[in-house]
Amino acid sequence: MIRILTLILLGFLFVFTSNIQAQSAADIVEQCASDAGEDATYLKDFIVKLGKAKPGSKHPVARYPLVLSKNNVYRFNVCTTEQSEGKAIIRIYDSNRLIFSSYDEDTQEEFNPFNFRCQKTGIYHVFISFIDGKPGEAVGILSYVTK
Amino acid sequence: MIQKSILFLLLFALILSCQSRKGKLADAELDILDSLELAADLQISEEALDEIVQSVSSPIEMAALIKEIGTPFSLDYLATTDYVDRYNTSFQMAYSLGAFGADLGYLNIYNKNTQIVDYLTAINKLADGIRVGQFFDFVTLKRLATSRENIDSLMYISVNSFNNIDSYLRENNRGHLSALMITGVWIEGMYLATQVANETPNPALSERIGEQKLNLNNLFLILNPYQNQQQIADLLAQLKEIKEVFDQVEIIYEMGEPETVEKDGMVMIVQNEKSIVQITDEQLQQIINKTEEVRNQLIAY
Repeated sequence: MIRILTLILLGFLFVFTSNIQAQSAADIVEQCASDAGEDATYLKDFIVKLGKAKPGSKHPVARYPLVLSKNNVYRFNVCTTEQSEGKAIIRIYDSNRLIFSSYDEDTQEEFNPFNFRCQKTGIYHVFISFIDGKPGEAVGILSYVTK
Repeated sequence: MIQKSILFLLLFALILSCQSRKGKLADAELDILDSLELAADLQISEEALDEIVQSVSSPIEMAALIKEIGTPFSLDYLATTDYVDRYNTSFQMAYSLGAFGADLGYLNIYNKNTQIVDYLTAINKLADGIRVGQFFDFVTLKRLATSRENIDSLMYISVNSFNNIDSYLRENNRGHLSALMITGVWIEGMYLATQVANETPNPALSERIGEQKLNLNNLFLILNPYQNQQQIADLLAQLKEIKEVFDQVEIIYEMGEPETVEKDGMVMIVQNEKSIVQITDEQLQQIINKTEEVRNQLIAY
């Protein structure tokens, strides 16, 4: 009987822990959307959790497709969670061509958030990864900038 | 005895917690099968489908453009919420959830808080009806709308709720309802844009309507896996009529390299590669007429 009760309690603990984690992700999205600024309207979020890069292999990357529209200004920003080991980078690609990265590896400068004035309606890709391939958790936000 | 009581309480709590996720109208007629059977007919991978769904652009962008070109607000463009109680099949509920979501985006952009409450109430009923009410924070949204205290939060929670509903449906093998919701968002957004274009022609709006060719092609990819359901097959046939006109619209591209400038202390990347939509007045009129016809059939109660 005690074993059954212990199992049920453990089950509950698992459910509650999952809920707490989900709540934390929601809080981070809200905070990060707010960080985008007053002139930005939240459109989408990208919640990312990546493991450590394996030796000799490419850094893990999360990739998301997006349709962006001509004549719109979009804002991209990324927030790294407190418990994350690595610092997040957000990049935008048009097909296979890099348009911009929030982090310049040569100068180690950060550009977060950054705006993108779209002139070509089409499918783009957002890539989120962590500096030096460290493991980490982050939230990327896409916003619409009011003209 | 104590052990039995604890066990009973834990089981009772477990049952309650399971019920709370089902929503208030869990017994609503579910006319479309849940996707265990549908999954067998998927023609593209779920991962690819998720990517396509995620890529569909937001109705907020269309509503923002309508406002930016100086169009006065009009309730006439919106689907009425008066008959929401008559939407009692999962097809109608999921589709209308999307359509009202697009209308909510329009109302949010124009800060029409009085009407927002009506749409929030309707959306809440529909979300409960398809058992996703737990992602729609009606109480907070209604408080924000009635107090007018924080328009940004109202917008954020509205959009975020829809994103979460969509993710939840897809993650729980109910992708067909997500597909219907996305279709509702798209058609209602198209209806808003085409009605405005019909009354006050504007080149930027015509171009944006022509660009919807891309989103419409994506909608076909999203809906196609579920075409073995008669209602979805009928919906695809209706969308095909709109697509036939869109197929005549051409999008051409001018090459160019992006530039980085600094504006108001923030980096701005200006794209110099351009898309140009070639749409004739006749094509636009056909799209306006066809969209109106299809949309009015779909929201009929």
